[in-house]
Amino acid sequence: MMITILALSAAASPLATHRAILAPESRLLAIRAEQVVLPDGGAPARGVILIEDGRIAAVGPDVEVPEGAILVEHRGTASAGLVALHSYSGSPSEMFDSTRSVLPEARVSLAFDPANPDFADALRAGITSIVLTPIPASLCGGTSALVKTSGGVVVRGEAQLSLGFSSLALRNNRFPTSFGGAVAELDRLFEEPEGVFARAAKREIPVLLEASSREDVARAIAFAQRHELTGAISGAAWAGELAEKIHSAELSVVCGPWRIGEERRDLLAVLALEKAGVPFGFAIDAPANHPLMLRAGAAMCLREGLGRATAWRALTSDAARIAGAEDRIGSLSKGLDADIVLWSGDPLDLGSTPQAVYVDGKLAWKDKP
Amino acid sequence: MIPIHALALALALVPAGRREDEPQRRWTIYADEIHTSTGRTLANGMVFVNNGKISLVSTGREESPERELLKVRAVTAGLVDASVRIDAELQSVEQSSEISPSVRVADSLDPFSIEWDRQVRSGVTTVLANPLDLDVVGGLGVVLKTAGPESIEARTVRADAVLRGAMGSQPSYGNHPAFGRPTDFFSRRPTTRMGVEWEWRKAFYDAAASRKDSERAYPGSDLVLRALDGDLTIAIQAWTTQDIRTAVFLKEEVERELGGHPRVLLDAAAEAWKEPDLLVRSKVGVVLPPFPSNGRTGEGSFMAWNVARMLHDRGVPIALSSHGSANPEDRLPLQAGYAMRGGLDFESALEAVTISPARMLGVEDRVGTVEVGKDADLVLWNGPPFEPGSRIVGVLVDGVLKVDPREQAE
Repeated sequence: MMITILALSAAASPLATHRAILAPESRLLAIRAEQVVLPDGGAPARGVILIEDGRIAAVGPDVEVPEGAILVEHRGTASAGLVALHSYSGSPSEMFDSTRSVLPEARVSLAFDPANPDFADALRAGITSIVLTPIPASLCGGTSALVKTSGGVVVRGEAQLSLGFSSLALRNNRFPTSFGGAVAELDRLFEEPEGVFARAAKREIPVLLEASSREDVARAIAFAQRHELTGAISGAAWAGELAEKIHSAELSVVCGPWRIGEERRDLLAVLALEKAGVPFGFAIDAPANHPLMLRAGAAMCLREGLGRATAWRALTSDAARIAGAEDRIGSLSKGLDADIVLWSGDPLDLGSTPQAVYVDGKLAWKDKP
Repeated sequence: MIPIHALALALALVPAGRREDEPQRRWTIYADEIHTSTGRTLANGMVFVNNGKISLVSTGREESPERELLKVRAVTAGLVDASVRIDAELQSVEQSSEISPSVRVADSLDPFSIEWDRQVRSGVTTVLANPLDLDVVGGLGVVLKTAGPESIEARTVRADAVLRGAMGSQPSYGNHPAFGRPTDFFSRRPTTRMGVEWEWRKAFYDAAASRKDSERAYPGSDLVLRALDGDLTIAIQAWTTQDIRTAVFLKEEVERELGGHPRVLLDAAAEAWKEPDLLVRSKVGVVLPPFPSNGRTGEGSFMAWNVARMLHDRGVPIALSSHGSANPEDRLPLQAGYAMRGGLDFESALEAVTISPARMLGVEDRVGTVEVGKDADLVLWNGPPFEPGSRIVGVLVDGVLKVDPREQAE
């Protein structure tokens, strides 16, 4: 791939768009955009994002572009990169070990191929970080991983401990075959003095409570409360119908993945989460679903009445918090990774498209090179 | 948390008769007959309900502006079914081990199942939920209300109420010898009635031995010890004569050899009428399955209409049950009627669906009779209870009106 680097002074190149492909990490990069989506949730305004060593050094309307910085001028909207929760990108067949129902030491971070085209697809959809999860067909399928969609960077190697509360975790030819057996075994495992379960019991690792039906969700909430766990419920379209209970258990929810023509009840359940103040993010479950469905799902929720600020947080900062990495990703804030998407317009408008995506301050993809 | 005033507002907006979240509502119920399940029937009586409890049972009439009035022909206590399965499918039983005492059926119950509402409309307000009998010892049953918050914990009357297991052929169903095919855990389980009984015996002897030798302990053996000591009732499914005999002989053996004094309920004991002396001698309670229309029922057992009466006359404590059937005619109101058709008197039939199962499950201090201080679980009838021409027109569970007699067509 041909990479062109144009070092331009701020004063000399007001019209340069994204000619600057790769900024060496040691150098300053500045992105000036007509609209910058700021973390305070206010209306996007013209501003500058200053990037140094792959991180955001400054952001705001009054940030000056220093002498010698590479300036990218963008006639559109700049935002934080989107964060997708729950996906099997980059090697789905390797994310489930059928030989054992409890495999807490299994790490999805060691299973994915960073060169897999799934990640390029995600990048093109404006997604800069993905939580890769074990397939929820085990009582404990291992730990999920938060990875960047460019460069094979693993942000959190043990992001969440995956626990199966749905009937998918049960099998008729190995332990456990029953919900009672599954819960009894998990209760026992969480009493262990050392290991991944003990760390989850001390809230050092959040749990990913894989559910399907509402009864699964009720069981998962009761379990999380009994062991005082922190984490998120995933896989249950109607989890929002138990939003008050989820809120009192201080858990979050992974919604979706969404398909066009999603049932209205599923979308209204998301609105119930917003009403109860439960943080949530969106799953993509790629490669079975296309990463573009992340934003499309948020748009379907907006159409049912979800607040725009809530939808945006679900795509970015709330998802980052659920992934346990709000100190690294999820908003255009000083000190966070410079994962930035330059959009043609408002990113919540499906008519807008990504034009360039920066990951860790490096241009990872751009439209029409 | 929802602020209190917001909750009050929300309740005020809900139409009358649908205020499910308001157990504090006060009721006065006038009935031509109040069947209390204590042997006493009050003519032209009234029942007061306060804060989810029965606060007065008396003859006479007394209206008050603070109380809402319901007028019906008859009142009984909420029915108690000592053998149900609420949507408990294969996922309710841990088949990886034939002895799974510590598995809780409560973990597999669906609080959102439509079956709860069907039970309520049949007048059943308290149930013992069991796992499927595909294990020898299948785990812990739970006694719970059929209505209330959509949460199993909140509806529980008695957690870990019974240790559930089975004799007979069902626990060995699907098992096979290991020869000639890949081994799985169905290769090592009992394949005969003898094998099933041996698993029971081994569970008791190992548990007893674990008191001195901790190596004999196994997962859940502490629960089997509690059962041996009589702290935890054992409910054993035993349809046929040989299974009933086996269960009684096992009980007597562990009393004799291990010094135990277990409390045993025989569930689905259709052929209990064949050996009533044995049951009287060993003091076991009997939970009967639904009456079959042609006499034949589970595992080929035979059960006639007069079985309940025969057992009652011999002094065996009996409870009627649906045995987990979702069929409306297998539910308690008609079952009590069938028992009466077989010769059981009304008062005994009423007890067999109220206080008798409540006693067997150890919840008689909360439910099972119409008495002051008990949970306000009441069934309101438009005629003599259990008669084919009578209908259930009202049901209260914990003082909440779940079926409103004022909304029923005459």
